[in-house]
Amino acid sequence: MEQLLNGVALGALLMVLSSGLAMIYGLRGVANFAHGALYMLGAYLAYTVTERIGFGLALLVVPIALALVGVVLELVFFRPLQHRSHIELGLVTFGLAMMGERLVTLIWGEGTLRVLPPEFLQGTTSILGSDYPTYRLAIIVIALVMAAVLVLLLRFTTIGLHIRSASQDIETAAIMGIDANRVSLIVVSVGSALAGLAGTLAAPYISLNPGMGDVFLITSLIVVVVGGVGSIAGAMVAGMGVGIIQTIGAVYLPSFAVLLPYVLLVVVLLWRPQGLAGRKV
Amino acid sequence: MTLYSTPDTDAVVAAENRPKALHRNRKGRGIGLAIGAGLLLIGLVVPYVVNDNFTMSLLVTSSLMSLMALGIGFLARYLGLFSLGHGAFYGCAAYAVAIATTNWGWGPLPAVIFGTVFGALVALIIGVLVVRASGFGFLMLTLALSQALYQMSNQTVMRPLTGAHDGKLITYTGNATFFGLSMSDMMDPGLFWPVAWVALVVTGVILWLFGRSRFGTTLEGIRENEERMRFSGFNTFRPRLAAFVLTGAAASLGGALFALNVGYISPDILSFGKAGDSLVAALIGGLGTLVGPVLGTFLFVYAQANFNFGGNIHLLTGVLLIVVLVFAPGGITGALTKPYRYWRAKLTQRGKGAEK
Amino acid sequence: MSVFEGSGVSVKYGAVTALDSVDIALEPGILHGVIGPNGAGKSTFIDALSGRKRVSSGRVTLDGEDITRRSPRWRRGHGVSRSFQRTSVFGSMTVREQLEMVARKNHEPDLDDVIETLALGDVTERVCSEIAYGTQRLVDLAISLVGRPRVVLLDEPCAGLVADESAQMLTHVRTLCKERNVAAMVVEHDVDGVFGNCDVITVLNLGKVLATGTPAEIRADETVIKAYLGSAA
Repeated sequence: MEQLLNGVALGALLMVLSSGLAMIYGLRGVANFAHGALYMLGAYLAYTVTERIGFGLALLVVPIALALVGVVLELVFFRPLQHRSHIELGLVTFGLAMMGERLVTLIWGEGTLRVLPPEFLQGTTSILGSDYPTYRLAIIVIALVMAAVLVLLLRFTTIGLHIRSASQDIETAAIMGIDANRVSLIVVSVGSALAGLAGTLAAPYISLNPGMGDVFLITSLIVVVVGGVGSIAGAMVAGMGVGIIQTIGAVYLPSFAVLLPYVLLVVVLLWRPQGLAGRKV
Repeated sequence: MTLYSTPDTDAVVAAENRPKALHRNRKGRGIGLAIGAGLLLIGLVVPYVVNDNFTMSLLVTSSLMSLMALGIGFLARYLGLFSLGHGAFYGCAAYAVAIATTNWGWGPLPAVIFGTVFGALVALIIGVLVVRASGFGFLMLTLALSQALYQMSNQTVMRPLTGAHDGKLITYTGNATFFGLSMSDMMDPGLFWPVAWVALVVTGVILWLFGRSRFGTTLEGIRENEERMRFSGFNTFRPRLAAFVLTGAAASLGGALFALNVGYISPDILSFGKAGDSLVAALIGGLGTLVGPVLGTFLFVYAQANFNFGGNIHLLTGVLLIVVLVFAPGGITGALTKPYRYWRAKLTQRGKGAEK
Repeated sequence: MSVFEGSGVSVKYGAVTALDSVDIALEPGILHGVIGPNGAGKSTFIDALSGRKRVSSGRVTLDGEDITRRSPRWRRGHGVSRSFQRTSVFGSMTVREQLEMVARKNHEPDLDDVIETLALGDVTERVCSEIAYGTQRLVDLAISLVGRPRVVLLDEPCAGLVADESAQMLTHVRTLCKERNVAAMVVEHDVDGVFGNCDVITVLNLGKVLATGTPAEIRADETVIKAYLGSAA
């Protein structure tokens, strides 16, 4: 039970991170390799804000700060380079990731940092008779609420409709009168904000170190591919699935567990190349 | 969009930089082989000119890493595929050499052959899974699968073979020699240089010849229009797989020789940063020419040794990569040859004008 | 028995039937035109016959042998070739390079003859992406004809061409079909061109065959006039 909850907590983080990645991929056709660096930046910013003021504020401030970073990304890179090939833009984000991770390390140092959650979340809560760290429950609740809000916004608002149609086919959407630039600005900044939120939520849960971005980037790229490129719902489901499988796997198959996401990737791609929820060609 | 969609036109290999299937005349091949032989000879003089051991070791490392970059460049140029997986073949070959010598007591030469073959075999297995993909699919799949190998190599169960997180120190049984080089000679950059240089030039020439052959033309056709190739009676899977394995073997040779040269395999050898560095170096050097990736690798290794204050190399290469991609998609060699191409285009235009 | 036959060819996408039990028979030296309004299933039909789309039911035969499930590569190797509606050439290669490449694969004995017949002699050394669109369409046709295929399926060879070029293209196709004794099928939008050049015409509408016959028979067919020609002419 406890392991299942751990899996859900990891899955919740992956959900938040991957849905941002999937949104940007769907719209710009680019796997944003800088997403791991954004997540890492979020975590380190959360560390500083928590040290100075408090974790509660970090939950609010960091996503906003990352949304601004997203605006810069969109205006400086994605928009001017949108007519270049996707792969080229992807390699630019690869360069951004290299830079970003190094910059974070230069600012915050190479050492491992820890963030403490606020006091009322530090203890354990009893669930069905077993004690479970309260903070992890908080991660699950916040992430699930976030995911629900995102789904509702995408389903029931005009801008959500525009985002969904633009991620299906950005050119047709533009012809239909949707302002692709505006949609893209929103998507990239929301996607970045989600990476920042994931980083903030993760900060008290993991230890912060310069390599943290890479690991999560690769896992969430796998999540996006498995979920079906461009499908936000697919990414959410796959994110939760990968989180649970990996955590449960670590209990029963300790030396094999880290490979599970990759095995999953290969199996899904051989069996259903467009991903679980992907569009058909 | 799916992972298996048709590729975008890759401006990274700018149109004017794409290989043009030359008329395969013997003269062209003769000139190329002569240039290769000349380079080979000039290179062998290097240890007599450069007396500094540090510089020499950078040159050896550059040459061995260039074997990987050559492969990455070849794939990008002829198939429009960008690989983050060649670090895996480099690393697997290095581990294979270490295991063959240390665990099984093989001599260095059979170990290098085994390492190269093993790396190529890994490329074959991964290739079957990935070469159908294009664009991002290929990039992400090669990344993910090489990351899987990295994770595997660091598992505790792998300790007897790879040394897991401790890395693996290479030891030999008896007085093993490699082309007359003793164990300490192999680790002396001045003495090992001829091995590395010959491997690089010979591999470069072989890839060049492959590029000019019918095989190269077939690859080019697949890059340009995969569907039409199938409808013109070509198998489009096998040539792609063959190119992947061929370039994987080049990277493997680099990794196998690297293992002999350094005598210790760091657990990071399979990490994603290594493969990423090589791809970035190839991009910066320029994918339009065969020498571009090699040039990029030499610059990268030099910069890493001289400007890497506390790991800032990635800040530097990140910036450089973005600058190159945004302003000079042909890389350094692309920018250098631009005036020449411009001049040649002008000349041919004038020639045509005169005909009329 | 005809060289190349499609019998009862149907293509379904989920619940939608794009092609409903279409029959066709191609004979050597006969140019067979397929016409029909937009959405009639013309492109789906040529894709089904050439192995680009999966046939849901029905069969395609070559010399009586069932080739319904054979790959495009196998078909080309056994003399069934096709061209594409959207120009499908190899942009970075010169015209000669790409024709030589395909010629080698398909054992074309006399490439220069193909180049000459299609009047491509002036552009052989030019890079394909740089030549005029009309000429690229001829290169596209040449790629399909190299290697002396016995059956050629052409998907709107005149798409995007101006009237003059279009007439010239169909003349080329007709000449090649007769000279080389090829069983040719041409899917075309240009109704007048098809009536002027084809020996047999099949009219498709809403995924079904409306009529098959000589141009004269088709012109006189009342269902065709009612459903298609009447509105077009």
